[in-house]
Amino acid sequence: MNTTYLGLELKRFARDRVTLFFVAILPAFFYLIFGVAQDFGSESAGNGNVALYIMVSMAAYGAVTATTGIGGAAAVERMQGWGRQLGLTPLRDSGYVAVKATLAVLVALIPVSVIAVLGILTGAAGTAAAWGLSLLGVLAGAWVFALFGLVVGLAFRTEGAVNAIGGIVVVLGFLGNIFIPLSGTLLDIARFTPLYGYVSLVRYPITEGALPDSSGGTAAVDPLWLPLLNLGAWALILGLLATWLVRRGRGRQ
Amino acid sequence: MHTTGHTPGRSAADTTGGAAIELVGLEKTFRTRDGDVLAVRGIDLTVDAGEVVAVLGPNGAGKTTTLDMVLGLTEPTGGTARVFGQRPREAVTAGRVAAVLQTGGLLRDLTVAETVRLVASTYAAPSPVDEVLERAGIAHLGARLVSKCSGGEQQRLRFALALLPDPDLLVLDEPTAGMDVTARREFWDAMHAEAAAGRTVVFATHYLSEADTFADRIVVIGAGRVLADGTTAEIRSRVAGRAVSVDAPADPAARERLVAVARSLPGVAAAEVTGGRLHVTGTDSDAVARALLVDHGAHGLEVVAGSLDDAFATLTRPETRPENRTTSDETEQTR
Repeated sequence: MNTTYLGLELKRFARDRVTLFFVAILPAFFYLIFGVAQDFGSESAGNGNVALYIMVSMAAYGAVTATTGIGGAAAVERMQGWGRQLGLTPLRDSGYVAVKATLAVLVALIPVSVIAVLGILTGAAGTAAAWGLSLLGVLAGAWVFALFGLVVGLAFRTEGAVNAIGGIVVVLGFLGNIFIPLSGTLLDIARFTPLYGYVSLVRYPITEGALPDSSGGTAAVDPLWLPLLNLGAWALILGLLATWLVRRGRGRQ
Repeated sequence: MHTTGHTPGRSAADTTGGAAIELVGLEKTFRTRDGDVLAVRGIDLTVDAGEVVAVLGPNGAGKTTTLDMVLGLTEPTGGTARVFGQRPREAVTAGRVAAVLQTGGLLRDLTVAETVRLVASTYAAPSPVDEVLERAGIAHLGARLVSKCSGGEQQRLRFALALLPDPDLLVLDEPTAGMDVTARREFWDAMHAEAAAGRTVVFATHYLSEADTFADRIVVIGAGRVLADGTTAEIRSRVAGRAVSVDAPADPAARERLVAVARSLPGVAAAEVTGGRLHVTGTDSDAVARALLVDHGAHGLEVVAGSLDDAFATLTRPETRPENRTTSDETEQTR
């Protein structure tokens, strides 16, 4: 791992105040609205309360916002010729990916820590395993969405597309059952969307697969393989697409 | 086209591994929605260690694509490229070749010194950061953000990056594009120092004056092929020769006839009527003058020594370039 490069990347990220604000503050704000401000926060959701369930969901959303942003910025960089400049150095693609993936996880730590602290302060509760495994899952799975940002950026080749990623993530968040409990046909569709598997997995230590409906009951119960398959399939698809797009873009741009 | 080296008297930095660059039958075809575009159509070229070579050609000639293959940024679709006997990517990894690319390629939110530190960190044994900043003439800009640097300053930063591995071969793709006259002179002064130290330098340009004053040898590329290769003096004399002009007959039929005759003369590259004069360029101006004057009764003969500009224009003008001109121009557009 090239730690000089990683250090400079962290410096660059810290210089970008606007992105830093959206990454650190917005998901925490959502948690305060969807989680803390609701009166059902203290109701049980399995191995934790509803506040913990919503806290983990917003942490996942925050981590995805952070990592898609890193991936999208990497795509813009490459489009603007930085990929060619790096192509003139001994740094290999795997080295570049390692730096960016580590950066993505470190940046994802920001919203996840902010939300976890808010959760502790505002009554999120659950077993130690529910807390630990959920938050670990948020960080462990977030890198997949760095690939998502990279693919969108490389495929559409405009800064506008990269700026739109934040909006796309919100839409995928709704489709992925993050913000509002889905049921019926919408839930059937949701199971195929990229954020569904990830958020279901990080909730699994709390809910053990149970999906709440909007009235507080249980809409359905997902077996563990379903979110695993969803996340695995999307990781594979995005990984293959990213590899292909990076190869395609190595020449002149 | 085989080319012989014009190695100057200076000693090469390192001659192990043979020629600095060896291109054999190099080809590159880009697939686009509108069909295949042949950007490079078979280039054979050998550059010896220590040479300073200008690659000259109009936009879309295939210069950048060719240099990309020398640098391992693009894989050829035919033929081979070797740098000091190695595959281009291996030569890059070994730090034997470095380049200054045409545009882009810098992170705007890093400072100049941070950029150099970052690229230095990818090499096993880079030159010290302060030293390359000094040699590129930007030691005073270390703390400035790249986004606050002028085009010329950014170009010198790219030059500083290229000096990091202490390369034996420097490749420069239109290095002074966008620079003003002063910046351009300073850039070439810095480059002269590197070449004098024995580095091999290959640069693409469409400024004839740069090629003329800086290079020992000029390779003219057009439509993906080598059109001419030699010293500046050779290029000038071989291709432009002299331009011959005579009064064009007023009668259209007679004028057409004379143009046809001129074009059929040996060594003629172009013959056309402008402003009531027939202008003929070719390699044997004496024969053209004699034929027009004696055999065809032309009047008002004038013979002018050709410039390198004329040579370049003659070599790369559309009617003397191979087919498919429009598609190769598009190649430049789609990059």
